[in-house]
Amino acid sequence: MSSVIDSHGHAHDGHGHGHDEHGHHGPYGGLMRWVTTTNHKDIGTLYLWFSFMMFMTGGAMAMAIRLELFQPGIQFFNPDLFNQFTTMHGLIMVFGAIMPAFVGFANWQIPMMIGAPDMAFARLNNWSFWLLPFAASLLVLSFFMPGGAPGVGWTLYSPLTVQMGIGMDLTIFAVHLLGMSSILGSINIITTILNLRAPGMTLMRMPLFVWTWLITAYLLVAAMPVLAGAVTMTLTDRHFGTTFFNAAGGGDPVLYQHIFWFFGHPEVYIIALPAFGVVSQVIPAFSRKPLFGYASMVYATSAIAILSFIVWAHHMYTVGMPVTGQLFFMYATTLIAVPTGVKVFNWVATMWKGSLTFETPMLFAIGFLFLFTMGGFTGLVLSLVPIDIQLHDTYYVVAHFHYVMVAGALFSAFAGVYFWLPKWTGRMYDETLGKWHFWLTMIFFNMIFFVQHFLGLAGMPRRIPDYPLMFETWNKISSIGAFGFGLTQLLFLYIVLKCIRHGEKAPQKPWEGADSLEWTHLPTPAPYHTFETQPILK
Amino acid sequence: MKLSKNLQTALILASIALTTFVGIIAKYWILNG
Repeated sequence: MSSVIDSHGHAHDGHGHGHDEHGHHGPYGGLMRWVTTTNHKDIGTLYLWFSFMMFMTGGAMAMAIRLELFQPGIQFFNPDLFNQFTTMHGLIMVFGAIMPAFVGFANWQIPMMIGAPDMAFARLNNWSFWLLPFAASLLVLSFFMPGGAPGVGWTLYSPLTVQMGIGMDLTIFAVHLLGMSSILGSINIITTILNLRAPGMTLMRMPLFVWTWLITAYLLVAAMPVLAGAVTMTLTDRHFGTTFFNAAGGGDPVLYQHIFWFFGHPEVYIIALPAFGVVSQVIPAFSRKPLFGYASMVYATSAIAILSFIVWAHHMYTVGMPVTGQLFFMYATTLIAVPTGVKVFNWVATMWKGSLTFETPMLFAIGFLFLFTMGGFTGLVLSLVPIDIQLHDTYYVVAHFHYVMVAGALFSAFAGVYFWLPKWTGRMYDETLGKWHFWLTMIFFNMIFFVQHFLGLAGMPRRIPDYPLMFETWNKISSIGAFGFGLTQLLFLYIVLKCIRHGEKAPQKPWEGADSLEWTHLPTPAPYHTFETQPILK
Repeated sequence: MKLSKNLQTALILASIALTTFVGIIAKYWILNG
C-alpha cells in the first residue's frame, strides 16, 4: 500500500507530518485524562486494559470450573455456584474480554490506517467505553445478590431465566448496557470508515483489518438489538406479566432460542471477523508479500457476514424442528465453509514463497491458522444434523467453540498486541519471552481443549460439576492444562509491562513487510494527535 | 436544518438498530407471534 501514497513531499522517515509540532496539547495528566478523554488512542488503550482485566476475571472463573472438574465428585463448589461460574465465565469472556479487545484495536488502528485524525464521534466514543465498567460491575455484583448470579448458561435460556433471583435482573441490565456500548461503538466505526478516509483511500484500498471491522460493525448494528429485544422480553416475562417465553401463558420457550441464536450466530462472526482482519495484517508483514487475493478476502468476509444470519438454528437441532428445517440449516451452515476456505487458502498462499520470519506476532498468527481451521472443521462436523444430535451439549461442543473463540480470537488478539505494541508504545517487547508466551499458550491450550473432544465423543455433558469415573483422566489433563494456560497469561502481562517500562526503543518500522499508513506515514510511537492534515493517496 | 454527513450516517444506523429492537418485541407482542 505504501507504493500508492504521496506523502506531500515528506520523506517516509517517521516525521511525515510532524503532527506534534503544531503546538497542540497532549493528554491531560492523572485520572481525568482517562475519564474525559476523547482521543481514539487513549480510548483504545482503555478498551484493551479493560479487556485484559475482564480476561483475568473470566479466566479466574475458568480456573474455578477446571478446579472443580479436576476429579469426580463435588470438591469445592456447590452445583449452583458452578453453574453461576460457567454462566458468568461465558458472558464476561464474550462481552467483556474478546469484543472490547477488538474494539480497542479498532480505536487505535482504524483512524491511523485510513488517514483520519480521530473517530467521527469522539465524545460518543468516550461514552461507549465508559458504559462497559458499569456493565461489568453489574455482572460481577450479581454474585452477591440473594440467590447469587444467574446459573442459566451464557445463552440465558428461558424458562430458567424466569426462575432466577435478582441477579438475573442485574445481568439483563448489564447486557443492555453492553449492547448499547457495542451499537454506539459500531455506529462510530462505520461513520469513521465511510466518511473520514483520506483522499485516495478508496474502499478497495483499505487495509483488510478496516474492511473486517466495517463488516463487523454492520453485523453489530443488526444483531445486538435482537439480543436486547430477547432480554427485554425476558425482563417483562419476569416482572410485568407477559408470557413471551412461558408456555403456560401461550408463549414458547423455544422462541427465545430462535431469537437468541439469530443474534448468537452473527455474534460468532462479530468476534471472528476482526480476528481475521488482524491476521490479514500480520501474515503479509512477516511474509514480506502483499496479501494474496485481497478482493476475494473482502468478498469472502461479506459472504460470511450474510450467511451468518441464515444459519442460527444449527445451534438448536434438538428442539424438534421439521426435517426440512434441519436440512436447510445444515446446508446453509456447510456453505459457510466455502468463504472461510477462501480466507484460509489466501493466508496460506500469502505465505507461499514468501520471505518468512517467525517473530511472536507471526507465531500467534500461524497458531491461529492451525487451530482456527481445526475449530472450523469440528464446526462442520457439528453442522451435520445426525452427528449434532449425538454431540449436542457435550464437551465436543465446548472443545469446538473454544478452538474458535480462544484459538481464533485470543491468538489473533495476542498477534495484534505484539504486532502493534512498538507503534503504540515506541518500545520493543522481549522477543524471547514473547516466543515463550506463544509456545506455552499453544501447548496448554491444546492440553485443555483437544482432550475435550474425546470427552464429548464419549458422552460427557457440558455444564455439570460432577461426572462418572470413566471421564477422570482426560478431565485431569484438561485441568492441568488450564492452570498452565492461566499462569502463562501472567507472563503476557509481564511482557507488556516490561515493554512499556523498559523495552528497547522501537525503530520507525520494526516489521519490514508492514505497509499500512500507520507504519509508512507516522512516527513510532504514534504521537497523541495524528493525521490532522490528511495524507493524499495516489 | 442541514445535518452533517457524519450525523446523517449515524442517524440512519441508529434508526436501523432502534427499529430492529422495537420490531422484534412488537412482532411477538402486538402480532402475538
